[in-house]
Parts: sequence; structure tokens; C-alpha cells
Amino acid sequence: MPPRNRQSERQPARPVRPVTITAVVDPVAALASENLDDNLYFYDTNKAAGSTGFGTPELHSRVRKGDTLLWNVIPLECETYVALADIEIDPRIAEPTRKVYPGTDIVFWTAEVKQDLTEPVPYRLSFLLGTVGTPFTPTARPALAGPANEGKGGR
Amino acid sequence: MAQQHGIIVLFDVENALRTRSLDGNTYWFDNMKLLGSVGVGTEQLVTIVPGTHFLDGSQATEQVLNWLPAALGSIPPTVPRNYLAEQERADDRRTLEELAALGSAGSVSDADLKRLQRRVGKRARKSGSGRGLTEAKLLDVTGKTTTSPGAYNYPAPVITDITGQAVSEKIMYPAQYGSPDMIYDGWYWAATVDTSRPGVYPYTMHVQLHELVEQDDELVWQSVDLTCQSSLKIINDPKRNGFTGAGLGVLPLPSVPAAG
Amino acid sequence: MKDRISIVVMVDAVGALSDRTLHNGNLSLVDDSSAGSRHQGTPDLVTVVVPGQVVQWTPIHVDVQTPVEIKAIEFLSGAAAQPPADQTVPAYPVEPSTVPAPAAVSGEGVDATGSNGHENYDLLVWEGVVPYDMTPGVPYRYRISLQLHEGPNSVLHIDSPALLRV
Repeated sequence: MPPRNRQSERQPARPVRPVTITAVVDPVAALASENLDDNLYFYDTNKAAGSTGFGTPELHSRVRKGDTLLWNVIPLECETYVALADIEIDPRIAEPTRKVYPGTDIVFWTAEVKQDLTEPVPYRLSFLLGTVGTPFTPTARPALAGPANEGKGGR
Repeated sequence: MAQQHGIIVLFDVENALRTRSLDGNTYWFDNMKLLGSVGVGTEQLVTIVPGTHFLDGSQATEQVLNWLPAALGSIPPTVPRNYLAEQERADDRRTLEELAALGSAGSVSDADLKRLQRRVGKRARKSGSGRGLTEAKLLDVTGKTTTSPGAYNYPAPVITDITGQAVSEKIMYPAQYGSPDMIYDGWYWAATVDTSRPGVYPYTMHVQLHELVEQDDELVWQSVDLTCQSSLKIINDPKRNGFTGAGLGVLPLPSVPAAG
Repeated sequence: MKDRISIVVMVDAVGALSDRTLHNGNLSLVDDSSAGSRHQGTPDLVTVVVPGQVVQWTPIHVDVQTPVEIKAIEFLSGAAAQPPADQTVPAYPVEPSTVPAPAAVSGEGVDATGSNGHENYDLLVWEGVVPYDMTPGVPYRYRISLQLHEGPNSVLHIDSPALLRV
């Protein structure tokens, strides 16, 4: 048995990796049906911290002040273009910036959580699909939620 | 014409490594929800495989499955597979250029050297038991080289085998193939499906995850072998003529064609 | 003369769904007729045919993982001003030996439901025999409707291709 997870012993307080929020999108289904909500699945890397709504467009990500967040996209049809076009969130909570993986045109967004949250803060993501110029925005909204919600049964 | 069915398996690698289990840590997708796949985006995907046969009973459309594993919280699979290596080489080139520039400038500051040192990054050594990873520098999840062993980008999980009822009963014939694609190069698992025996057939995917551990003051990749389950639902229907609803007929031409 | 002519319907599904049209280079028709078809590789393909030949249409998607199927092929009539989907009486000779129930012969509405209750146009084979009473020298234009995935934007058609008896 190899020594396990030494890094977590060294840094118990703050994960070094960002909290990644991944949107899995079926772009072809979304284009054909004009319904992004039914073809959008959110996940994050913070399930152990109490994130909920995995596999839905209403993921609630459990975050803390100082966490780095990273949003990216996985298209269901790997040859079809999908990109995260914008993130709208209360700038007092986070100010996401658009970045690309170095040397590629593949987009991700990052932000730092500016304060601990007492209530879930919904935010809005929009996506570019296929070759359509205008972004698609799902009706359902994911949210950031703070540790204060733990007593409320993980809404 | 039937398309190739892509099955994406998204792994919560961090949780899986912590619990040493894939239970609750895999999310399965295919692009066949419209034809009846259920559980897309969950751990309980049942992939529909809609077989067809001609009136003489022969199999009409060959159904092909492809599996694509991906790690949640890593550089996504849309970034080319050889990206890690490319990115490291690009960093090395830049560092060498800057070193040369520093040398010719005459004075070298500590800050400059530290910056370059950071970029050179840490290298991990592969342990003897692992498969599929070459000696590599560490990249973080944004594609930058990192010196922090707690920030490394989890390598994509590697499928090592596909077994179970669907395979032992010869419903599908999975095998690993080399991709001819120079950009998304690498190995992938694919299978052709015998759709002549309708039913639900489970299968087991054997997956190797990789974890960076410190051993004798060295960083070493350790492999962790785990399994997870999914299933195929085979149906089979006869092909029919689109014009007649049954067999071959005469084309339904109008008495007077439209002016054109 | 060949017994069989194959018309390949090549579709860029993502392009077509994004542009909401099969034009803009999103669809290309190619046949293997040796008798001088015109406009190969375009949506305006005129396929030269001979009575008795079997013509078969096959959809091919540029993107291998995107479902593209033929939902309907309807020959456009110049006799009535009605849209071709309303065409109910087949205006061609019926050969009893090869043609089954006339109710299904309009080229529209053939059931594509699979045994699990889901529509699956992969079940349909689009082929037919060129009739002997086809008027030579006149293009018979047809509407080809494609099913690209499912939903309100998923069906697109073009009216430009034709069969031509020489």
C-alpha cells in the first residue's frame, strides 16, 4: 500500500486545487431542441464538502471565502464546439475572469470567492454552441452556497 | 445510418482516491437519450443499442461503442491529449530562451532565477507498478507547470479492461485501439455490438487512476486500480421501406412534376 | 446500365442545426450514376435514372457522433398547388407484385417507432424502383427532410434535388 494523500495531511485547511465546476453539455441536442436546460449537467469537485444537485443544471457548490473557483465545459459530442461565454454573478461575491488553457483557444473561467455566504447565491452561465453567434443561457441557475447552509439540510 | 455511440465516463478522481472506490464517483453519459438511454449524467446509465435487421434476418446496421474517460477537476478532454507534453516542452523552450537572454544581459537577479525555477517545475517519477504515464513535469489544472504537489492536474483515468456479462455472453467485443488522429492521439476502447439478442447486459469497466505520492523524498506516481459498472440495453427492430412501410416498391412520382 | 443508383446525403449536422438550414454548404448530395448526373456535391443534384433501376438514398454525417436520418422523401407535384405532404393518391402505376398496401405509399407517415417506443428513422430504408411511365427529359424534384436529433428545430428540408429520366 503506498502512502496515501500526503498532500492532504500537509494542507488540511485549504485545498490547493481550485473548486472546479464542470458543465457537461449535449450541444447537438440543445441546438435541435432549443432547450439547454434538459441537456446540461453540472458537477463540481466539492461533493465531500456538501455540494448538491449533481447532474442537474441547478448545482449548488459549497464554497468558502478565499476558495479559487474554476469553471469549464465538456461537450458530449467531442467534435462539437461548446464554450463558456459568460458568467454573471454578484461582483461582491466573485468576479470571474475568462482564461484559456495556455497555447489553446479552449476557455475556462476562474474567480476567487470574496466572502463566506450565508444564503445560496444563484448565478448565470451562458454558452456558445456549434457555430451560432449568440450565446445560449439556461433558465435554471446554479448557485454558490456557503457552510452556513449546512444546518438547513443542504438546499 | 446509425452513429457511433460515444460513452463518456466522468470520474471524481479526488473522491475516488480518497475513498479507494468508484462508488458514487462516476457520472456516465451517452448521446442516445433520444433513442431511449436512461440515467444519462448519473452512475446508473443504461445505454440503448438500437439494433436493426433486414427482412431476411441479417443484421442491418452495425452499432459501435466508444468510451472516453475524463477526470472531473482536470484539464478537459477537449484539450488535445498530447497537450501536457507540448506544454512542458513550450515551457522548457521559453525558459532556455530567457536563460540565454539573462546571460547576455550580464547581471542575473535572484527574482529572475526564482521565476525560472518555478517554471521548470517538479518532475514526477513513475513507480514500477504503474502503466500508461511517462515521466512528466507537473501541470496544474490550468495547464501551467507547478511546483506544488498538491495542485497537480489529475491525469485522465485509463481504462484497462472491459469485462462482465455483456462481454462473456459475446454481446459486445471490446478492444483497445490506437487512434490515427494526430491531435487527439492515444489509445481508446471501442466495441462492436451483436444486436441479435435483445436484453439488458451489464458490464464492468476496469479503470486505473493515478496518484502522486511522496516516497523517499521523491514524488512518485502510484496507480490505483478500481472498477465500475454500467449496462447496455439491446433492442432489435426490422428495417422497413420509407416509401412503402414494408418492402421495395415503385417510387411515388407525381403525374406532373413540379416546374423547376 | 446499373441496376441500382446510390444517392449519398452528406450532412454537417452541427452546421445545419447552428445555421438552421441545409444550405450554406451544410448538405451535399452525391450519386454514383454513370449516365451524366448534374450538380454533384450540391443540394441541387439532378440524378439521371432509367426505368427499372432502384434508387437508394443513404444519410452520412460528417460528424460521426451526431444522429442524422432521413425523415421523408416526397416528390413535388406540379398538378396541384398543394404542398406535397398533402399528396394522398399515388399518381403512378402500381405493380401488384412488388407494391404492398397502398395506404402506406404516399412517402409520408411511415411509422418509424422502434420496439421501445422511441422514434428511430434509422429503421427506414429509402429506396424505390424508377417507374416506366416517368416522363423523359423532365426533372422530378423532390423534398428531402432530415431528422437531426430531436426537438422543434430538428427537422430541416430542401426542395432542390431531382431525378431525371433521359
